[in-house]
Amino acid sequence: MHIPDHVLSQPVLVATGAIALGGFGYGLRRMERRLKERSMVLMGIMAAFVFAAQMVNFPLLVLPASGHLIGGVLAAVMLGPWAGAVVMGTVLIVQALMFADGGILALGANFLNLGLIASVGGYAIYEPIRRAIGGKPGVLIGAMVAAWFSVLLSSLSFAVQLAASGWWSELPKVLGWMALVHAVIGLGEAMITGLVLRSVLAVRPDLVFEEQEDVDRARGWARLVLGGLGASLAVAAFLAPLASPLDDGLEFVGGRLGFLTGEGSAMIDGPMADYTIRGMPDVAQATAAAGLIGTITVFAAGLVLGRTISPGRASRGPIDPDSPGAGAGGGPGAHAA
Amino acid sequence: MRLDRLEPDGSGAGPLHRLDARVTLTAALFFVVAVVATPFGAWRPLGVSGMLLAFLVGISGIPAGALLRRGLALLPVVLMLAAIVAPSHPEAAELGPWRVGLTIVAKNGLTILAVLLLAHVTAFRRILAALAWFRVPTALVATLHLMYRYLFVLADQLGRMARARRSRSFRGARRDAWPLNAGLIAALMLRSFERGERVHSAMLARGWDGTIRSLDGPDSPEPPSPT
Repeated sequence: MHIPDHVLSQPVLVATGAIALGGFGYGLRRMERRLKERSMVLMGIMAAFVFAAQMVNFPLLVLPASGHLIGGVLAAVMLGPWAGAVVMGTVLIVQALMFADGGILALGANFLNLGLIASVGGYAIYEPIRRAIGGKPGVLIGAMVAAWFSVLLSSLSFAVQLAASGWWSELPKVLGWMALVHAVIGLGEAMITGLVLRSVLAVRPDLVFEEQEDVDRARGWARLVLGGLGASLAVAAFLAPLASPLDDGLEFVGGRLGFLTGEGSAMIDGPMADYTIRGMPDVAQATAAAGLIGTITVFAAGLVLGRTISPGRASRGPIDPDSPGAGAGGGPGAHAA
Repeated sequence: MRLDRLEPDGSGAGPLHRLDARVTLTAALFFVVAVVATPFGAWRPLGVSGMLLAFLVGISGIPAGALLRRGLALLPVVLMLAAIVAPSHPEAAELGPWRVGLTIVAKNGLTILAVLLLAHVTAFRRILAALAWFRVPTALVATLHLMYRYLFVLADQLGRMARARRSRSFRGARRDAWPLNAGLIAALMLRSFERGERVHSAMLARGWDGTIRSLDGPDSPEPPSPT
């Protein structure tokens, strides 16, 4: 979902814009260094691919609605973290400028959520898992877990941006609900990413991005910090709602001791009090449970999908006739550039 | 999302179509910033900008109905967010949640229509030429250029692949849709990769040096004719 103009407050727009501009510029520079001028051709076409892939609708089995791939982690796995972020940014720019989907001034916030956090943050989660497991199953499981987290983390970042636009007081509750809803939505993203990667790994495993091994010390540290940041954000996502009863306790104590008198007490006795007593503990526990169940589910699904990649089919050429859907439209006309 | 009807057609060209892309782009950005910066509860400036926008749509020669329909398709997201934000917005204490929510919806309606108007009167390649003139890095402009050019090619290819699949499978179960659609995406991705490499070799063969040249940018020898 793209944030339209003027849902976020002006300071948030400026701050996210600045972060996004810096991140986009850095990503563009790194991409240029790695791929030279070929980058523009490949990145442009891959951005068009992400845009087109987002048009494929996946029917939800329980509801008469459909969802689609976001593709941040898929792009990062295939092209590398920063190139993936740039591709997502390009998609967002065209969507905002030509389709009015997402505000122009909210481009920074959207790029922060769907580009930097989904691609770069998702890659920071994917890379350690891929290394730990190794091989094609490593790529698959890492990408699926990362895809799940990327949806979760972007939604939480969105919640924080909304909250910073004027209602910090309700942040824990919103974070809890966002985490709960997007833990389910993220399963869809993880499944699609896994299914797509399974087909790609069966046919052209050589196309999956692999970082050059000549990692210098600074790069290694940067990766460590990034990975740690991603992991701690992920943990915080599930612990933040749990911490909120404590927060309310603080307000309660504050009220008791007379810190919060006058105007403040009216606010505390308002609708928020109801929420904290009835709604909050449920959301918190459900969120923590959703985090645990989601991680295990995605991991197990990755294991199952990883087993079904048949090895040794890489030599068959670019299009695999056995993989579902790949044979469709494989006529000579479809290949003409 | 439908991709057609994006390139402005020359047939209904009004005065706005003939304006320089640098002017229309700057004006649209200025309009969006002005609308967003309008304080809450200030209905008069919003009304004035709405009238200005209506006037521009009127002289542009673009059917207002089509513009509104495309804008309305984006409104559910805005409505939902407005409903979430309005009750606890800091301004809601003074103005009441309804007026805050209405302001958010109205502002977003104006900015969405303004961007759609820009997209309808100024072709995307002219916007990109204007961006290049504003010293936006060449790498970004070229990437956007290529992305936009191949967006329709890939969307067509996706449509062909989906049609071919439909014509070969007589009844589709809903639970099959996921692996089949994912296979579709995977095949499209591989073809996009290969297409990218082919296109790059072909461009190198024609002397590509990393800059996009166009006959109808701001530096073009003569302005583009609407015919």
